[in-house]
Amino acid sequence: MTGVVIVGGGPAAHRLAALLARYGHPGGVSVVGAEPRPPYNRALLGSVLDGTLDADRLTLPALPAAVRQLTGVRVTAVDRARRAIRLDDGRELPYGVLVLATGARPRTPRVPGLQTQPGRLADGVRAVRTAADCRPLSEGPVVVVGGGIRGVETAWALSGTGQEVALVHPAGQLMERHLDMVAAALPAEWLAARGVALHLGRRAAEYTPGKVVLDDGQVLAAGTVLLCTGTVAESALARASGLEVRGGVVVDDLLRTGDPHIHAIGDCAEHAGTTGTTVLRAWEQAETLARNLTGRERPYAPERRVLRPRTPGRDMVVLPPAAPVRPDDTDATVSLLDRARGHHARLVLRGGRIHEGTVIGSPSAVAEVSRLYLRDEPVPADLLALLTGADGTYAGDGTPPDDTVVCHCNNVTRKALKDAWHRGAHDEAALARATRATTGCGGCTAAVRSLCTALEGATP
Amino acid sequence: MTTRTLVVAGHGMVGHRLAGEILENDREGRWRVVVLGEEPRPAYDRVALSSLLGGATPDDLTLAGPGAPDDGRLLLRPGTTMTGADRPTRTVTCHDGTEIGYDALVLATGSRPFVPPAPGHDLPGCFVYRTVEDIAAIRAAAVPGREAVVVGGGLLGLEAANGLRLLGMRPHVVERAPWLMAQQIDEGGGRVLARAIERLGVGVHCSSALHAVGAGTDGRAGRVELADGTVLDAALVVFAAGVRPRDELAAPLGLERGERGGFLVDQWCRTADEHIWAIGECAAVRGRCHGLVAPGFRMAETVARQLTGGAPEPFTGADTSAKLKLLGVEVAGFGDAHARSPGAIEYVRDDRRAGTYAKVVLAADGRTLLGGVLAGDTRAYPALRALTARELPASPDELLAGAAGEA
Repeated sequence: MTGVVIVGGGPAAHRLAALLARYGHPGGVSVVGAEPRPPYNRALLGSVLDGTLDADRLTLPALPAAVRQLTGVRVTAVDRARRAIRLDDGRELPYGVLVLATGARPRTPRVPGLQTQPGRLADGVRAVRTAADCRPLSEGPVVVVGGGIRGVETAWALSGTGQEVALVHPAGQLMERHLDMVAAALPAEWLAARGVALHLGRRAAEYTPGKVVLDDGQVLAAGTVLLCTGTVAESALARASGLEVRGGVVVDDLLRTGDPHIHAIGDCAEHAGTTGTTVLRAWEQAETLARNLTGRERPYAPERRVLRPRTPGRDMVVLPPAAPVRPDDTDATVSLLDRARGHHARLVLRGGRIHEGTVIGSPSAVAEVSRLYLRDEPVPADLLALLTGADGTYAGDGTPPDDTVVCHCNNVTRKALKDAWHRGAHDEAALARATRATTGCGGCTAAVRSLCTALEGATP
Repeated sequence: MTTRTLVVAGHGMVGHRLAGEILENDREGRWRVVVLGEEPRPAYDRVALSSLLGGATPDDLTLAGPGAPDDGRLLLRPGTTMTGADRPTRTVTCHDGTEIGYDALVLATGSRPFVPPAPGHDLPGCFVYRTVEDIAAIRAAAVPGREAVVVGGGLLGLEAANGLRLLGMRPHVVERAPWLMAQQIDEGGGRVLARAIERLGVGVHCSSALHAVGAGTDGRAGRVELADGTVLDAALVVFAAGVRPRDELAAPLGLERGERGGFLVDQWCRTADEHIWAIGECAAVRGRCHGLVAPGFRMAETVARQLTGGAPEPFTGADTSAKLKLLGVEVAGFGDAHARSPGAIEYVRDDRRAGTYAKVVLAADGRTLLGGVLAGDTRAYPALRALTARELPASPDELLAGAAGEA
C-alpha cells in the first residue's frame, strides 16, 4: 500500500488531506498542486477584488506535517497499469489510491481579442479564479462579462466601491439558470440603481485593450474585463488516462471513476449528472471520500444546499430542485410579487414541502424559507405570511361585513337582502322580487341561497 | 299637474331598466315614457343570448321586472329608429317621419359589434354576435363537422365558440392579445383557460391578427388568413372583437363625442344639453365607455333618480369583474386583476396538475384585497369578490381552500 495521492491545490484537495490525517489514514498522503502557493479559499476571491478582504486571509489552515505537499508541480500523466503519476519535473510518484481534485478553470468566451493564444488571456482581461486574478484593477471602467450568480456578485461588489461597471450578458435577463424573468428583474434593478450599465441580450463581439465592442456595435470603455462566464472542469488528465469524462470526470456513488483505484471530487467531478460548482459540495465530497478511504464506507448523498449569492444588503436565495422530478410531479407553485418593495418569491411545493424555489428581497422570508427547505419541513398553511414575513393575523372572523355587495349586477348588499328577508322575503324568488338580486347574470344565486339558510338558522 | 314626456332612444337592457325605474319611482305619475327600439322585439336579456344556441327560445330571454307592457304610462315602439332631434323645440324625429316632443331625452342606443376592416369581412358566411337575429342567422348557416373561426377571444368570443360547438362545428378562436379574456384575467389564468378549451378541440390562436377572410368556390367565406400566414378553414366566421358605441346621433343633435366615441356625459350621465342624457354602452362617462350591463344599470338608476326627484348617486366607475363558465372550464377576474394599483402585491397559487390557478392582488399593506384571477376552480369567486377593497378575514390559502370545501 503506497498511500493516497491527491492531485489538486484547491479546497477539495486540502479538505480531503486534512480529513484523511484526522481519521488516521494508515498510508501516506501526498498533495500535488499546480499553483505555487498553498491552498486557499477560492470562494472569497471576490472579496479580495473589491478590497474587503486581504489576499493573505484566504489561505487555508496549514495541513498536518504528515501530509506531503508538492506545490508548483504539474502532473503530466497517469500510468494506471503501474499505479504511478509522472510530474513535470521528471519525478514519478506511485499511488495506492489516486484522487483527482483538479478543480475547474474559467470558461473563456470565444470573442476575438480576449486571448492572445489558447489559454492565455490578453492584457486587461482576467477571470476571478486564482489569487493572481485579484491583483489591483487597472484604471478605468470594468466590463463584467456574464450575468450569472458570479457576474451579479462581482458587479454588485465593484459598483459598491464606486467603480464604474458595465455588465454584458447574452441572455435577455440575469441569472437565467436560476431565476424566471420576473425575479431576474430585481437584481437588475439593484445593479442599475448602483449605476451598473446592464447590456442584456448582448454579446461581446471583440476586445482590444481599452475597449469592448458589443454585437450591436456599441463600444464600451474597459480598463479591465472580468470574465464571469462559468467554469470548465479540469479533466484533461483524466481524459488522457482513458477515464470517462462528460461535464466532468464521471464518478459513482462511492466517488470512484471507472478505475477503482482512482477517485474524483470537487469541481472536476461529475456525480449523478451534476458537476459541482460550490466549495460546499467539494467539502461534502471530501468528507464522504475521507470516510470511505478510512473504512467507514457509505455512498455519497448530496445534502440540500441553498445558493446565497453574495450581494450584501440585498437578500436572495436560490433553492435548487431537491431531486430530479418531472414538472407534473409537483403539487403547486406559489409565488409572490411585491414590485414596490422589490420582493419576489416562488416556491414549488411537493407533498406540502418545498421542492425548489427562489426568494428575493425579504430577509425574513429568505431565512425562514431556507430553513424549511434545508430541513425538508412542511410549509405552514399561511403561505402568504411565509413569503411576505407578515405576522399572519387577519381581520374579523371570516363572515363578510353587511355592506358587502352580493349581487353586483344590481348592486344589492348583504344588508339589503337581510332587510328584505326580515320584511318577509324568505326564499330566493321573493328576495329576487324584492331586491332584484340574482336577476342579472345569476352568479350570486348560491350566495343568496346560503344567506337565506343562515338567516333561517339564526331565527328561532 | 302636467304630464311630462321622457323619450328613451334605444330599447336594450339599459333602456328597459331606465323605463322600469322611472315607472316604479314616479309615484305622482308625472312622466309618460316613450321607448324607441330599433330591433323588431322589445328588450331582452342580451347577456343570455348564447343560451339560444343551447336550446332556449327568444321568449326565454324576456326581461321580467317592472315596466309591464300594460302600463298606460309606457309606450313601446319596437322597430322604430330615432334619426334626429330639434333641440330648441325639443322634438325627436324617427325614421318613419313621426315626431315626438320630449321634456327629457335619454340616449340608450347601445353599441354595434366592431368588425375589423380586413378584406372579405363582409362575405356571406360572416356574422356578428349581438342580436336574436344574428344568432338565428348563425344557427341557419352552421355546418356540423366543419371548422369555423371566431374573431375575438374575449367573453363574447368564447361564448360564440361554445355555441358553434353546440351546433356541431369545430371552432377556432383568433385573439390579438397574448392570451384569452385579456381584459379580465392575467396570463396565468389565460394559460389554464386555453389549455382547457384546446382539450375540447377548440383551436386557440393568440397574439394573432386577422389578415383576410377568403371566399370558397361558392363565394361564401371559406377560410381565414392570419397576419402570420396561418390559414384556417372556416365555413363560417363570427366577429366578436369588441363593440363601438352607437353615437351617430351626436352629429345631427350637435352633441359632443368622447375621444374614443360615445356621447360625452358627466358623472350624472348628462350631456351639455340639460334635457338630454346618455346611458349604457353609448355613453362616454367623463370620456370613458363601459361595455358591460352592470355599469349601464347604474347609469340608468342615476338618471331615473334625477328625473323622479330621488337622491341620485354619481356614476363613478364600474366593476369589470367577469366570470366565464362554459366549455368545461371556469375562469373569473375581479377588481384589480392585473395588479395595476401602485404598490400592489400579487400572490399566486398555480397547480398545473390539477389545472387550477388563483391570483390574489393585495394592497401595499399586504392585507387589503384589491382583486384577483381564478381559473379552473372559481368556487371562491363570490366570496373574494365581495371582499374586494376590504381587509382579508383569513389567509388567501384558507379562503381558497374554504371555498373548495363548501362545494
